[in-house]
Amino acid sequence: METLTINAEKCTSCRACELTCSFTKEGVFAPSLSRIRVVRFMNRGLSVPTVCVNCARPACVEVCPTEAAYIDRSVPVVRIDEEKCIGCGECVKACPFGAADFNEEKGVAYMCDLCDGNPACVSNCIYGALTFKPRYTVAEQKRRAAAEAYALSEHVR
Amino acid sequence: MVRELGKQKILNVDLSSGQTSVQEVPTDELKGLLGGRGLAAKILYERLKPGTDPLGPENILIFAPGTFSGTNAPSSGRTTVTCKGPATGFYLKVSGGGHVGAELKYAGYDYIVISGKAEEPVYLWIHNGEIEIRDAGHLWGKGTRETDRLIKNELGDENIQTALIGPAGENKVLFSCIILSLYNSASRGGVGAVMGSKNLKAIAVRGTGALRAADGKGFFKLASDIRKEMATDTSANTMHQWGTAGFIPGLNALGMLPTCNFSKTTIEGGERLSGQYLEDEGFLVGRESCFACSIACHRYVRTKEHRYGEVNDSGPELETMMSLGAECGITDTEAVLKANQLCNDYGIDTISTGHVMAWAMETYEKGLITEKEAEGLDLRFGNASAMVELVRRMALREGWLGDLLAEGTKRAAERIGGDAWMWAIQAKGLEQSACDTRGAKGYALGFALNPRGPDHLTTEAIAEFGFTEEAKALIKHITGDEKYAVSTITDKRPEIVVWHEDCYAASDALGFCAFTSTASYNVNPERMAKLFGYATGIEISEQELMLAGRRIMTLERCFNVREGYRREHDTLPWRMMNDPIPDGINKGLVTDKEMLDKMLDEYFKLTGWDPTTGIPTREELERLGLLKLCGDAASA
Repeated sequence: METLTINAEKCTSCRACELTCSFTKEGVFAPSLSRIRVVRFMNRGLSVPTVCVNCARPACVEVCPTEAAYIDRSVPVVRIDEEKCIGCGECVKACPFGAADFNEEKGVAYMCDLCDGNPACVSNCIYGALTFKPRYTVAEQKRRAAAEAYALSEHVR
Repeated sequence: MVRELGKQKILNVDLSSGQTSVQEVPTDELKGLLGGRGLAAKILYERLKPGTDPLGPENILIFAPGTFSGTNAPSSGRTTVTCKGPATGFYLKVSGGGHVGAELKYAGYDYIVISGKAEEPVYLWIHNGEIEIRDAGHLWGKGTRETDRLIKNELGDENIQTALIGPAGENKVLFSCIILSLYNSASRGGVGAVMGSKNLKAIAVRGTGALRAADGKGFFKLASDIRKEMATDTSANTMHQWGTAGFIPGLNALGMLPTCNFSKTTIEGGERLSGQYLEDEGFLVGRESCFACSIACHRYVRTKEHRYGEVNDSGPELETMMSLGAECGITDTEAVLKANQLCNDYGIDTISTGHVMAWAMETYEKGLITEKEAEGLDLRFGNASAMVELVRRMALREGWLGDLLAEGTKRAAERIGGDAWMWAIQAKGLEQSACDTRGAKGYALGFALNPRGPDHLTTEAIAEFGFTEEAKALIKHITGDEKYAVSTITDKRPEIVVWHEDCYAASDALGFCAFTSTASYNVNPERMAKLFGYATGIEISEQELMLAGRRIMTLERCFNVREGYRREHDTLPWRMMNDPIPDGINKGLVTDKEMLDKMLDEYFKLTGWDPTTGIPTREELERLGLLKLCGDAASA
């Protein structure tokens, strides 16, 4: 099972991801309709992309009163069935990551659906702030980085 | 709210009456001028009477994001700001990056045309089509960073984008700027003073609308492909890794780093001004981008020792390192970081700031500014703490010296008298940017012709140096032979300048950064034309696009002609024309009147401008479809 992994260190706030997403999902250029959003800290020169992290037991699914939010096991990813969604906004409130948002015009909630397993934003992120990898590789990479810090330290033979 | 990219809207705001109105841009005008900078030129030409005081209420200030700003076209988020310029009294086109241009497009407008003057300080709040003129009394006098913070707090939205002036614009410093989205600026020619003269402290923008291309799939794919292609471009990668200051070591080694007011060509310790040094020594804490740009040339830095005060801010970039550093004989990194931060916060153009100080230092060393007049500052080259203090005094017009220098080198030299004008590296009232036009002939011609004064932001003919294979290929494309990819000869410079001016104008109009179209070449005229068709539904050929670029240049020229501009204004700073390069690989070179005249003669032949007056002929205006609009300039 792959997941969108974010390396905020590499994000420069070009927002190509926001443009790619809104175009791919909605056919227009509109960061306000993008599933992925960059949050900027202007007094620190820091840009942090934020997006649905694909929880195994998502809060959005748990709180949905009509079962509009559900896990599609084929990808797997959380989806919103727009027919069932009544636009109550409970999922938006429940998500700890701010990844569920509300489309005012349509009256339904939305979040990232990984473009059915081939997320469009990733290839447009030139400097690698976004990657799409199997979940286990995230822990693997972190282990390796921690071990490397030790391996490179001076007192080790 | 979805808007079609091909249907542009102008927001008119009159600050005297508080009235606003909205107009649509006719399709044929969008086709002929490409939008952005191009249409802004027409608006200014039509609405501004010749002879208007640039700092008076009748001047008009236009903000024009590019036609592609807000789309995924790579590095297309730039905004042009246009007005009559106070430093020169001529056409002033300034360009800046950041995110405010795209935000304005999402808020429902492609242009803001500001006229009149508010009675008290105000700021403009544009929010999804709604416009409010709000009181800015509590913001007046404050630095740009604090102002941005207060506006965001007041309006309750962290995603607001701002265009603002600092105290320097309020004080009408003739090189004050407009800070865009905090890390960027529309800098040159005193554009900040125009905003200050209107009592307009800021424009705050928030837009959640959408933009639609006529052929979205075609546009998105081509734009995406170009973005990915640029990922392997050497120039783009250098700028990503080390910022534009990543070129400093190369320039210094080549003897192309203007030092001590263009009196030397290299400086010892110059590597301390480089982007590489910022990273290696731990000053660099982040790399940031303008909207839709994957180059990310911006730096975010922090000082370590805080020897001139603590710095936590964006920049500095190449021109800044050169002007505040080498030009002042300074290589102390922390001093330049601090001075740059002050420029950001006070809202002054780093290029002019540095070159004005360099002039002051030479003038002081030559005894034409006395110790008493220097008011406690030892203004010799290399004095970093004096330099940092002087930045503040100029921005605030503090003391006799600060106030004198705030007028720029042309006026300051006139007041000082004696020979001081000889080393004022300026023409028409604008300080020259840090490219030595004694050795780079194409730059020299472009600088002389630039409607706003001698800088590179109308031509940017880097290709003439032949640094890369792509550059040589472009020179071959323009002139027929890559042997002309040498900057020290005058041959073919007019052809090279015409091509670059046209490409740059089209590039500006569409919102592209020069780094994609004239420093690297991934966004070339052919692709710009294709993207224009996909975006607007208006099909144009590469030739028509370049012709539109020529139309824009000619329109800007006609504006200047109406203001009294003639061939004699196509000139360079005295030192560039009379004082040969003292050392380095280009030792002995100079661009004297004979050379400049030869290049101008050929340029006027190519462009169909009268060789004596430099005025576009009626035939040329006819050819460009400008006779109706600009006929009054041709017969002047």
